[in-house]
Amino acid sequence: MMFAYNIKTCFGMQFFRYVVTAVMIFLCFPLSLFAAERGEYIAIHKEGSGKITLALNKLDVPVKEESRLAERLDAIIHDGLDFTGLFTMISPPINVKTNNSGEKVVLNFGALDSVGAAVYAGGAVSNTSGSITLYMEVYDTSGAKLLLNKTYNGNPQQLRAIGYAFCADLIELLTGKKSIFGSKIVFVSNKTGFKEIYECDFDGHELRQLTNSHSISLTPALSPDGRYLAYTDFSSGRPALYIRDLSEGKISTIGKSGISIDPGWRNSREVATTLSFEGDQEIYLIKTDGSISRRLTFSKGIDLSPSFSPDGNKMAYVSDRNGLPQIFIEDLPSGQVSRLTFSGRYNTQPSWSPAGDKIAYTTWESGSEINIFVTGIDGSGLKQLTEKSGENESPSWSPDGRMIVFTSSRQGSKKLYIMQSTGENQRPLLQSEGEQMQPSWSKFCQ
Amino acid sequence: MKSKINGIVILALMVTAGCSSRSAVTAPEASGRQAPSPKISSPVTPPETVSLPTASAPSSSASLSGYGFDQWQNGPLGDVFYDFDSTVLSAEAQNQLKQNAAWLENNSANKALIEGHCDSRGTSEYNMALGERRASAAKEYLVRLGIASSRLETVSFGEERPFDTGKGEDAWAKNRRAHFVMKK
Repeated sequence: MMFAYNIKTCFGMQFFRYVVTAVMIFLCFPLSLFAAERGEYIAIHKEGSGKITLALNKLDVPVKEESRLAERLDAIIHDGLDFTGLFTMISPPINVKTNNSGEKVVLNFGALDSVGAAVYAGGAVSNTSGSITLYMEVYDTSGAKLLLNKTYNGNPQQLRAIGYAFCADLIELLTGKKSIFGSKIVFVSNKTGFKEIYECDFDGHELRQLTNSHSISLTPALSPDGRYLAYTDFSSGRPALYIRDLSEGKISTIGKSGISIDPGWRNSREVATTLSFEGDQEIYLIKTDGSISRRLTFSKGIDLSPSFSPDGNKMAYVSDRNGLPQIFIEDLPSGQVSRLTFSGRYNTQPSWSPAGDKIAYTTWESGSEINIFVTGIDGSGLKQLTEKSGENESPSWSPDGRMIVFTSSRQGSKKLYIMQSTGENQRPLLQSEGEQMQPSWSKFCQ
Repeated sequence: MKSKINGIVILALMVTAGCSSRSAVTAPEASGRQAPSPKISSPVTPPETVSLPTASAPSSSASLSGYGFDQWQNGPLGDVFYDFDSTVLSAEAQNQLKQNAAWLENNSANKALIEGHCDSRGTSEYNMALGERRASAAKEYLVRLGIASSRLETVSFGEERPFDTGKGEDAWAKNRRAHFVMKK
């Protein structure tokens, strides 16, 4: 089956407004009309049903001088989509477009189908006096249906954001869920000789140093809305919780004696942390101004590392009430506590999945190996994600729940790695000097 | 903290003097400083009396290694050591704390900061909490011996400031400690 569109007007005054042929009348439909088709598509490509084979074509350019721009954007889109692990990326067959009568470009869906492409994406980019315009089209190749056609604009400095905006749309269209594009990862690095907090994009790009305290800064966590960064800082000579308003730069502290360490956000207004001012290490809920909302744990010994269910009603945390540390779950409304982990003698660093059904954590095995596990919140379905690769620590879920960022010493010093939440495709996230650790993935995608 | 780190070089020079001055105070029970002793459950090797940090300092993070050789290390207050994941004070640790208490009793103008430290094993958040419990255990013992609580401050550094950056029980044993810093 073949569809044709006229490419001549693409780069004219009315840039990218394709002339619609009779066969492709639906191209003119408003996007909402595709909702039914989208649902249909999602039904076919349910999560876990395997990767989507995507034929991503190189972008067209109106003039040769812009081919470099197109190449850069090609790479951004390709690498961004590939990063998610959702796709098997293939190049379209050479005869994907055929010029039938000089001006008409025809997409050869038969050829796409024969190479196994389920989805085809292609488009064009232009640079008109410093304004970048990306036009993209996405087709379901089996039904030869147009799934998306959209224009993205920005300046040349926003090239990555332009490309990612398309990636985000494509993934939301194909999976029905928000993507990781626009999310951030905060972590600790000692590259300056001091442990400071840094942030980067979900894929390791746009590295930025957030603290410069020349002290020890640890365990960063962004509030779900991205407004606040909570972390532990030794600037005062002791480990104190800092809650920094990232827009205003204002920092709130708790102002209690003892330690205040390892924050975990319950929602964008409340962060839980361990305080010891009452003599024992207990978890408290703190407001963003540093005032104590209420105490959450009441057991003798160490209570630590809170991680909340998406609705904020349950908290996974570490407690050594039985000797060595294990993970427990507290139901906040009732105050009931149950133990989650029974295998492994030393289990710490719980991280609740965004879907709410799983908890990732680490087990310190015999020797110096630490591994990441995932379990259902009732303790069923335990799965080991890392193996025989040194110390693997600090798992943190991507906002869409498909990936996990973590620390690993598999190459010697501690670096950041990512993997699918199934444990597949473990690879380094970024190359940076020194050691990187304690990554925390934002809940938001901006 | 910076001054402590900067003091490493000076301290390296003072280490010998430091050891002798401590042993002068603690002469009859000098071994109390050399905790921990071997335990049945874990093959603990006592740390050497004092090993120079300059010998094993890695290049890039030299300023972070060998922490503990600060200007007070050669003072009269000795460190105490712990077993793995333990805050229990061994007989050696209690001996050292008794000596520390005796000195503090005779020098009532001085205060002490007790830093809790851990070895690098396990996970760092848990170790931050564990370090505080070690410092608190040492403090509580001194308070029971009659030292005013207000003269004893505690802080945890978890596994962030190892005394010995090496791997192996030899190094780890030195890092599981409550380190005493004398304050005026």
